[in-house]
Amino acid sequence: MNFLERLKHTIQEYSTHNAFFIKETYFKYEVLNHEIIKIRQALQTRMTAKDNYVGLVVHNDIHTYAAIIALWLEGKAYIPISPDAPAVRNTAILKSTDTTFVIDVAQTSVYEANFTVLNTSYLEFQDFQLQESTFNPDAIAYILFTSGSTGTPKGVSISFDNLEGLITAIKADKAHDIYPEDRCLQMFELTFDFSLVTFLYPLLHGACVYTIPKDQIKYLYVFKLIVQHKLTYLVMTPSIINYLQPYFNEIHAEAIRYCCFGAAPLLHDVLRKWENCIPNATVYNSYGPTEYTVTTSYYKLSGTTHLQTKNGVIAIGKPMQSIDAIIVDENHNEIPNNTPGELCLAGRQLTTGYWKNPEQNAKAFFEASHEHQTKRFYKTGDLCIKADSGVFIFIGRKDFQVKIQGYRIELGEIEFQARKIITDLNFTVLDVDLDTGDKTLLLVVESAIGFDDAPVLTHLKTTLPDYMVPKHTMCIAELPHNRNGKLDRGQLRTYFKNKSNG
Amino acid sequence: MDRDDILLKVNAAFAKILEHSNFNLEDTTTAADVDGWESVTHMLIINEIEQVFNIKFKLMDLMGMNNVGDLLRTITAELNTK
Repeated sequence: MNFLERLKHTIQEYSTHNAFFIKETYFKYEVLNHEIIKIRQALQTRMTAKDNYVGLVVHNDIHTYAAIIALWLEGKAYIPISPDAPAVRNTAILKSTDTTFVIDVAQTSVYEANFTVLNTSYLEFQDFQLQESTFNPDAIAYILFTSGSTGTPKGVSISFDNLEGLITAIKADKAHDIYPEDRCLQMFELTFDFSLVTFLYPLLHGACVYTIPKDQIKYLYVFKLIVQHKLTYLVMTPSIINYLQPYFNEIHAEAIRYCCFGAAPLLHDVLRKWENCIPNATVYNSYGPTEYTVTTSYYKLSGTTHLQTKNGVIAIGKPMQSIDAIIVDENHNEIPNNTPGELCLAGRQLTTGYWKNPEQNAKAFFEASHEHQTKRFYKTGDLCIKADSGVFIFIGRKDFQVKIQGYRIELGEIEFQARKIITDLNFTVLDVDLDTGDKTLLLVVESAIGFDDAPVLTHLKTTLPDYMVPKHTMCIAELPHNRNGKLDRGQLRTYFKNKSNG
Repeated sequence: MDRDDILLKVNAAFAKILEHSNFNLEDTTTAADVDGWESVTHMLIINEIEQVFNIKFKLMDLMGMNNVGDLLRTITAELNTK
């Protein structure tokens, strides 16, 4: 049974169970099903066989989740776009995929000028039998766009078979199982692929998914859900515990039985304190790039007395079953254990490539012989070492890509946009550490007489998603360079830290 | 410390974390009214306020805060327990 058949089966079997808790309201599986059927009816009436890719404006509501499942059951891919990101950027993304169709719940959609828009908030139930589509494993299930260094976002297309591979791999380890009575946290925006694990996996098991309203302070709302709704299954970013850390003495969440981190480095000392707050939970760290369908490896932390760490950051664990993970040098040759190199991945979850981007595909993928077979590998850009235990340890990035709030960001894309406004001064954008262990973006401008940052920040806010807009700006008389003439980002970070603390 | 003094210090904490002062904090002001006030900066503002007033909020109180009025009342209550 493929995952879509299983999803249909679960939706029927648990029809009277709660499927979602969204903005303080429960939605049962039968309600979800009703929404899915209405959207499918509308899609079958209004879409042509050529419309394989559909833009989906992702809101935190039942219509949006139902739309994803409806599109999949029709064999179509969704391209998630954030209602908070600039429409001009979203439109460029959608146009690059030749999409003509957009689903949006907004009464007046900003996409009506360029696309056929299906409004899913007022759909009527129609009196006609749905046509069943056939499951095509090679068809695309979703295309996610991540930041690109040349100023153009990169589309990563993930097939139904990639998704099937993910679910098969997670399911192979019973430790990650979800049960119908579980109450699961979904803290991610649907433009972020980690959300696949946090909404799809619970739905495949008849559990209830608890989402975070956009107008809430997410760290405090997670705590509220833990306390008031006794969540049992958490998958979240380390930032949640980083910000809740000062209040750990007030948290004693016995109902939590599973807690998994991902999307950012997990700090050892915070984790150990957090474990005292969740005495009955088994705790994991996880890792995976978008190009390898969400998750690649898990590291079980509970019961491990000697956790493997590097610079206080916890290891990312061992690859899941049937995943080929190797560490290579600059020439794609595998290197011995305990030697730093680039992590490369091959296997069923590997994307077919970046959307219409042969140049990037040539850079990011290569073929190599591994275990007597020629396999296609993806270069993650993550520098890791493989310990003799088989556990992989993350060391850092190979390039100027950083993660902010879990999103992968090419600093070059921000600088590309900033350069349109700052035309006569040197500047750079870099990631700096906050005291909490999280990262934030800093714009540094070289000027001895000060700098008005309002025009450039206004421009960035209208062209980039909020998480890509620097939250701090700093003026410096002269940008520091190292002996090789390269910009000394380390010195800038120190200067920013001293300035913040002083 | 009277309410105006508290508001003055709260204003300074917001301005320090948000790196601007294009806001007018009133009882009914929420995160939606102030540019840059979101999940991360909220936690940083709370941390700054705790340091400035030398108080420690309870997580339950933070959970129930919906606007600046709630914040000022909680600060007052914490100062009164000192």
